[in-house]
Amino acid sequence: MSVKEPPSAPTALQEFVTNLKAAPRRIAETAVRSGTPDTDRTRSTFIFGNVFLHLHAVRTHRWTLRWAATLGLGIASVAAFLLTLITGVLLMFYYKPYTDVAYQSIKDIHFVVPTGRLIRNIHRWAANVMVVTVILHMARAFYTAAYRKPREFNWLIGMGLLVVTLGLSFTGYLLPWDQLAYWAITIGANIAQSPREVTDALGLTDVFDPGGLQKLLLLGSDAVGAEALIRFYLLHVMILPLALAALLSVHFWRVRKDGGLAKPADVDQRLGTPTVPTYPVFTMAPNKTYQLAAIVRGRTPAVGRGPENTVPSMPHLFYAELGVFMLTVLVCVALSVWSDAPLKELANPLVPENPAKAPWYFLGLQELVAFSAFAGGIVVPSIVLIGLGLIPYLDRSDVGTGLWCGGPGGWPLVRRSIAVGLGIALAVEAFIIRFGWLREWIPGIPQLVITVVNPGTVITLLYGAWSVWMVRRFSSARAGALALFTCFLCGFVVLTIIGTYFRGPNWGFYWSPADWPKH
Amino acid sequence: MKKNKYLLLLSSLGTLILLVGAAVQENFGKDWRKIQATAHSDEGPIPVQLRQIVNGTLRTSDRCVSCHVAMGPGEQSVTGSPLLVQHKKVVHDPAEYGCAICHGGQGQATEKEAAHGEVEFWPEPMLPASRSYAGCGTCHATLHVPNHQTYLRARATFERLDCRTCHRVNDRGGTVRPGGGSLEGPDLSRVGLAGYAADWYPRHLQHVSDAASATAPSPPPSAPPSAWKTAFAPVSGEDQAAVKTYLDLLVGAPQFVEAKSVFNSSGCLGCHKISGVGGDEATDLSRAGERDPGQLPFHEVAGRPTLENWLGEHFRSPSGVVANSRMPALAVSDQDIDWLTFYVLSLRRRELPSTYVPRDRVRATKLGEREYADDGATLFGTFCAGCHGPKGLGRRSPGMPSFPSIASPGFLALASDDFLIATIRQGRPGRRMPGWERDGGLTRDDIAKVVAWLRETSGTQAKPDPKPRRWVETGQGTADKDLGKRLYAASCSGCHGDKGQGIEGPALNNQILLANATDTFLAETISGGREGTSMQGFLAGSSSRRSLSPQEIEAVIAFIRTWEVTRK
Amino acid sequence: MTHEPNAIPSRLDPERVPRRDLLGLTALWTAAGTLFFSVVGMMRIPKAAVLSSPSKKFRVALPDTLAPGVAYVPPGRSVALFKDEKGVHAISTICTHLGCIVRPETAGFECPCHGSRYDAAGVVTKGPAPKSLPWLKVVNAGGQFTVDEGATVPPGTKVSA
Repeated sequence: MSVKEPPSAPTALQEFVTNLKAAPRRIAETAVRSGTPDTDRTRSTFIFGNVFLHLHAVRTHRWTLRWAATLGLGIASVAAFLLTLITGVLLMFYYKPYTDVAYQSIKDIHFVVPTGRLIRNIHRWAANVMVVTVILHMARAFYTAAYRKPREFNWLIGMGLLVVTLGLSFTGYLLPWDQLAYWAITIGANIAQSPREVTDALGLTDVFDPGGLQKLLLLGSDAVGAEALIRFYLLHVMILPLALAALLSVHFWRVRKDGGLAKPADVDQRLGTPTVPTYPVFTMAPNKTYQLAAIVRGRTPAVGRGPENTVPSMPHLFYAELGVFMLTVLVCVALSVWSDAPLKELANPLVPENPAKAPWYFLGLQELVAFSAFAGGIVVPSIVLIGLGLIPYLDRSDVGTGLWCGGPGGWPLVRRSIAVGLGIALAVEAFIIRFGWLREWIPGIPQLVITVVNPGTVITLLYGAWSVWMVRRFSSARAGALALFTCFLCGFVVLTIIGTYFRGPNWGFYWSPADWPKH
Repeated sequence: MKKNKYLLLLSSLGTLILLVGAAVQENFGKDWRKIQATAHSDEGPIPVQLRQIVNGTLRTSDRCVSCHVAMGPGEQSVTGSPLLVQHKKVVHDPAEYGCAICHGGQGQATEKEAAHGEVEFWPEPMLPASRSYAGCGTCHATLHVPNHQTYLRARATFERLDCRTCHRVNDRGGTVRPGGGSLEGPDLSRVGLAGYAADWYPRHLQHVSDAASATAPSPPPSAPPSAWKTAFAPVSGEDQAAVKTYLDLLVGAPQFVEAKSVFNSSGCLGCHKISGVGGDEATDLSRAGERDPGQLPFHEVAGRPTLENWLGEHFRSPSGVVANSRMPALAVSDQDIDWLTFYVLSLRRRELPSTYVPRDRVRATKLGEREYADDGATLFGTFCAGCHGPKGLGRRSPGMPSFPSIASPGFLALASDDFLIATIRQGRPGRRMPGWERDGGLTRDDIAKVVAWLRETSGTQAKPDPKPRRWVETGQGTADKDLGKRLYAASCSGCHGDKGQGIEGPALNNQILLANATDTFLAETISGGREGTSMQGFLAGSSSRRSLSPQEIEAVIAFIRTWEVTRK
Repeated sequence: MTHEPNAIPSRLDPERVPRRDLLGLTALWTAAGTLFFSVVGMMRIPKAAVLSSPSKKFRVALPDTLAPGVAYVPPGRSVALFKDEKGVHAISTICTHLGCIVRPETAGFECPCHGSRYDAAGVVTKGPAPKSLPWLKVVNAGGQFTVDEGATVPPGTKVSA
């Protein structure tokens, strides 16, 4: 009788061959563990199983997915940042941060480096787009009152991001080492030194010179030169990008922890029924698709409430973000193909540009700086930053959160503030263009008087007065904030436009560059 | 979500199209690629790639050879498009120097307009092709260049003596030796740089006597008779000197030298400085050829807004292109204006790495050798002719005080050599005449030569003056200063200013003038006037001017002398 | 289980098979294609289109006093030129081992780095060098010679002066 032998275990060699043959498929399976995202579970694992993606929530609220909620500005800012990051790293292959070769290296990038011209143009345009989208994103967050509890700190992080973004743009501006760069940064450094205006007038400069210290730290020397270039390079390629990345991580994390983007309290009524059938998420349902590492206190996607109005982030948020990202890429590439990044003559410390203009986002300030460097360069920006920073702590109501121009006053107040903001800025500008300012009428007047009484402070005070009036009218800090923010935004636009298009040599007012006096 | 998908799709498509377009443009659309695609050398089509000439010391990377391939090192045999021609034979090898250092333009660029420097924000457009030799001035400062007349005479002498029969100069002339082989005589185009035997003349004569004498080896029967027997004739000493002048200037850039000789006849250094030599009334011209046309006003300039055109207009009408210019309009021929434009374009003396500084520039800037010949005529032409006129007879320009005539016989008869030398040495402080010894860099020797030349051309020596230098005060009767003051106010102040500061006429209160002019000089000038100017003699008087008696003239002189500050 | 249309599905029901999302897939693949194209484009950047070193072809004028068998090394170049009655030839002085510059000796070349030796024709006689020194192309252009460091010729090729 033959004993049926059990099938023998595979030999080691057979196992080896089987495993080797299965390796490719297994590599794919172990790399992407979530599988095709066609069920809610796989859609969830797609997000939280990926280190890059799991900063997103697995489900996104339908309200915040609407275009009108955010206009995609946050994602557009990140997209612009990624573009500048990637193109910036590529440019680092060829750019040399030393004064004798920097300009030449930029010319080389433009003429001989493969794709160099396009990459440099994209870098420049994406940087400008980023500044624009960051400012608009801040405006959106303000107008939808998205800074309110619990998002106050995220607003401050956002302001930090704004400052770092402007810093990145400013430090990058010097690197081509052409006339535009050199003199713009000379102006910027002298604005940093402008506290001397006050310490000089008070006779304190010998003992207390913050202005001089700021300029020295910025430039590494008393004039813009090789030390400044290498410092700005370091700031631009390492310190500020790392700071930005760190702040961005906190910013996104905060969005998660604050329960997603800001929504109105009655959001469910506003939304109505969903058009796409989605699985409702009942927090008491079994088989919740993500694991809790620990029980923690704090805001998370609502626990213990009814069905949420959320949809899986994959694919809804995924397409929204990708769409905005590619739109930003399209805009930047189109601008880059159409228009070259500027490059003027090699920097010449002996020949100032006339007019020497700061980068466009600082031209509004330069307009004010023409009267008082300290007021326009330090006081007004500080007031603006401090004011912005205080908004979430002064407006603690929760009426109108998540709605455009939400809060007492609403759109009519904003409309009126636009008129007031534009009107005051234009009126003050027209006045100073036509009549000049104190020094034209009283030649010997001490600078300190002008430091206190100048177009910047005048405009600020007038805006402040309007804002206070609105506070009292509507008995609401939010109304005042709406008024003030709108006024400053309009003032910024007016001053920037005047500084860009209507200021010529010696900062004179000209209706068009054709009117500029010839040498 | 559908909207977002459309957004994604359309943006991606748009981006893709733009990127593909950019890629096609960069890889197929560039001019240099198209040019190289049509090019081929002896071995077939050439590889299409960016080409450049790199010079580490000069820190240049000139990519001109991406289009002008045949001018690159080792690429002489490349042909194809009309651009692909070899570089002319010049002193410096383009393979070492690159292109932009001589031609200007933007060597780093790879597109035509940018490379030729004709774009905004490139301050140094390429030199026009006809004036390429102006690029020599980037580094060189040719020494001992005479004035234009002398140069032309030297060149004409060389031509007249038929030296080109045997010698090749600047691509013309020379014959092949009988019996074949090389040319009869060496190519002289660059002997100014390379040097030549100082005893060339005796050696030529030796050849002649050798050819004629019986001791010479007899030529092979089939060869024609030695050219030396008949070709070379004795040359006068004057002609030899002219030939030497010409040979010393053969540096491989004939236009450059001729332009400089015209400059040395125009007296520009009377007001302008180049490399530290010259007057200080006007701008330093050392780098005038590098001026950025983007910074210049062109509303008065006809034609294209190039530096060339601006300079031409500048010479014709200085105040039209330079606000508040005190430069008189040059009344010279168009040809001369062309030459001056050429020379100014060549003034591009930038800082150079030490291995590239040529000998002539070292000698000019460090060793004090002159860029102008030091004969009296050239010195006058280089420094004086601009203000005092090419013949020294003065110059009038609308809107500015006239420059005095210094070569008129009447003046030279009165002015002693000492007066002339002192005036040139010390100038007229506060007025436009610089002190040439102190500030201008001329030596006493130079000044003496100028004076000698003035005397020679006018043929006038100074009349000896038996009287002492100052005789007015001590002469017969004391001169009346108050009378002089009234007479001065009535008759002289209109042209010479009420304080003698000078308006149309010279400043009479000038200390150097007063210190050096004798009373005879003043008296004779007042009495007899200065021919060729508006100073008419007061002794005779005219219908518009009263005449002054000799005593009145002495009174005026006494008054004028009160302005003199005597040092105790 | 029956399935009612318009009813909000419960988590306890089996998943509905989703329809293939043509628009979404097209959009995604177009985006992926664009990004891939741009990445490929970006990868071209590090490869320099033009090298900043001096040109490989250079002109050289041999000194008249050059004796046969004596090497002439033009300043700044890694080439040894020789002239004899048959003509002029050029041998590269870059050691084929690891790239040091060899020294021309009385009869051949010697590399200071690892002791490779070559004979007068560049053939390896000793040491770790794997190949002989290449002979470089020389062109006679009217009295001056142009050496092309980028082109090799068979050993023994000489260009008449």
